[in-house]
Amino acid sequence: MEVKTLALDLGGFRVLQGGGNLPVLAAGWYVDLATGARVYFDPKTMNFYTLAGGVYIPLSYMNPAPKQVAVAPGDKLKISLSFSYSGPAITGAVIRYCIGVYGTFGFTENMVWENTKNLALATTPTPYTDEYTFTIPSSIGADWNDIYCKIYGGSPSVPQTLFGYENALTIAGLTPNITSFTIKDFAKV
Amino acid sequence: MQTLEIVFQPMALEQKTFSVGSTIRVTVSFKYVVGVNATVQLMAGPYYSNIFGKHLVSPCVGKADVQLTAASTPADKTAAVDFILVPKANGGIENGTYGLRVWVEGTQALADTDNVLVVTGNPGGATDVFSAMMPMMMMLMMMGMVMPMMQSASGGGGEET
Repeated sequence: MEVKTLALDLGGFRVLQGGGNLPVLAAGWYVDLATGARVYFDPKTMNFYTLAGGVYIPLSYMNPAPKQVAVAPGDKLKISLSFSYSGPAITGAVIRYCIGVYGTFGFTENMVWENTKNLALATTPTPYTDEYTFTIPSSIGADWNDIYCKIYGGSPSVPQTLFGYENALTIAGLTPNITSFTIKDFAKV
Repeated sequence: MQTLEIVFQPMALEQKTFSVGSTIRVTVSFKYVVGVNATVQLMAGPYYSNIFGKHLVSPCVGKADVQLTAASTPADKTAAVDFILVPKANGGIENGTYGLRVWVEGTQALADTDNVLVVTGNPGGATDVFSAMMPMMMMLMMMGMVMPMMQSASGGGGEET
């Protein structure tokens, strides 16, 4: 069975206890180079916000998928992850992989896997990769097309960092998904 | 060097005329993905439109089973379904112009085109003449009932004065 791959990039992060060498941004407005959108950074919460309707809303960790992967029951889907880390050595950081449904009330995790990883002491951002391969079950829902990953926990604890893709999967489930349906011809027989 | 991209659009369906009792074969094309081998029901039939929307002529709807082999990437498929223009005398379709609708049961796949089926061949017998004249006859009968009452009411008032 073919293994299909979806790659995610968590970017860089540092530990809560400090000691990381990633630059701390000053409070203020920035431009997201990927989308061109203006975002506000709050150094107290270490989070980016967007302004909508006069309210500052934390930026979503979910993003439009750069590509769609078609999967069917029995297929193997490999999710590969990359990130950079600088800070003290971490033992047992948890990397969580989830497939499910992202909606108004958050992410419903239908398929989950967790890896643990040790991160070495680093004074400069050091790249890491990780991966997990899911086997798509026959019970997969037609709407289980969202994916997210997060890294958290360990000793000392790393800040929870999330990243995900919406509509990353095209599910070939038990019910046919039909597109481009057109009448070609009709005639008396 | 510059290039010019030309996209061929599917041609619009031409209006065709059929006699009642004819069997019509509709051919459709689509793409699909499905995780397991599956059988779907392809349905087709004529419809008419009015201010309340589009209405299928149910007695004329035909169906056919279509086998779909498992495909996790979009696969092309062509399928056909037949339906019969059941005469009005048998509870079917009247003479007139109809649209054509095709769909796959249990999915959102649906395609329809207005005014492509012209149905002829239903006999215009005495029953049809009677039903066409029925509203006029009803109105005459009502007038026949109301007019004498109005005359008697006006006539009675005159006698009292």
